[in-house]
Amino acid sequence: MCAVPKPECEEALDRLFEYIDHELPEDEIHRIGEHLKECAPCEAEHKINEKIKRLVNKAGHEVAPEELRSRILETIRATRPESA
Amino acid sequence: MTDIAEFDFEAEALSYMDQLYAAALRMTRNGADAEDLVQETFAKAFAAQDKFTPGTNLKAWLYRIQTNAFINTYRKKQREPKRSDAESVEDWQLAAAAEHTSSGLASAEDNALDALGDDEIRRALSELSEDFRMAVYLSDVEGFAYKEIAQIMDTPVGTVMSRLHRGRKLLREKLRDYAAERGLYEKAPVKKGQKDKDGGVCRAEA
Repeated sequence: MCAVPKPECEEALDRLFEYIDHELPEDEIHRIGEHLKECAPCEAEHKINEKIKRLVNKAGHEVAPEELRSRILETIRATRPESA
Repeated sequence: MTDIAEFDFEAEALSYMDQLYAAALRMTRNGADAEDLVQETFAKAFAAQDKFTPGTNLKAWLYRIQTNAFINTYRKKQREPKRSDAESVEDWQLAAAAEHTSSGLASAEDNALDALGDDEIRRALSELSEDFRMAVYLSDVEGFAYKEIAQIMDTPVGTVMSRLHRGRKLLREKLRDYAAERGLYEKAPVKKGQKDKDGGVCRAEA
């Protein structure tokens, strides 16, 4: 079946990123959450976008190189007003 | 709440070094420039620490300094043209509605995503223009609220939302392309946003 979006679908899809990012007021979170439970195409969209957000989060972390850390600490020590 | 008298600016600021470095890598897309940018950020932050109000958001304050330093120093050097945000809100809303796809296609895409590695995600992100890349990074990796991203990027919240919508849509397109290249996913043979006979926006029932 080709699911033609209903008005509730349009609201859910328009607000999907805000929903995923926890930027919506409680009543909208509830309304959209209820819709996602009963609308498979919208829930599929929700799952994909949420997964991409998770993947970006996982891939995005880095550890600063040790050499940079010591360079910065040195700079701070040199400029500290009451250097011990 | 942090006691203002006890607030250790130096220790607090240094605790964000990894995050600032990760952001700098996304900004400059180059390890050497990223290191210089983070060093410049800390130098500026320590020089201006009297202007920071303890109890307010230090992390956002540091990101703001780094964003400014990047704009002033590195963007010019990198010669990346500043994108305009000419695209209206209606455009991305339309785009969102067009994503009401058949469940078979959606689950194929969902599965294909699991097979993509961190390096492919980073590559896709690096191919986005700077404003989209940073909005997505600040939200997805750093977990900043829209209001905080607006402060860091010095732009209205509506622009942040538009950048996130456009950036994520492009990012998803790229991930679909990568998955298709590796034979993990077959892209729909239907033009984007094509309407079906009923005037609906179902994309792929071919």
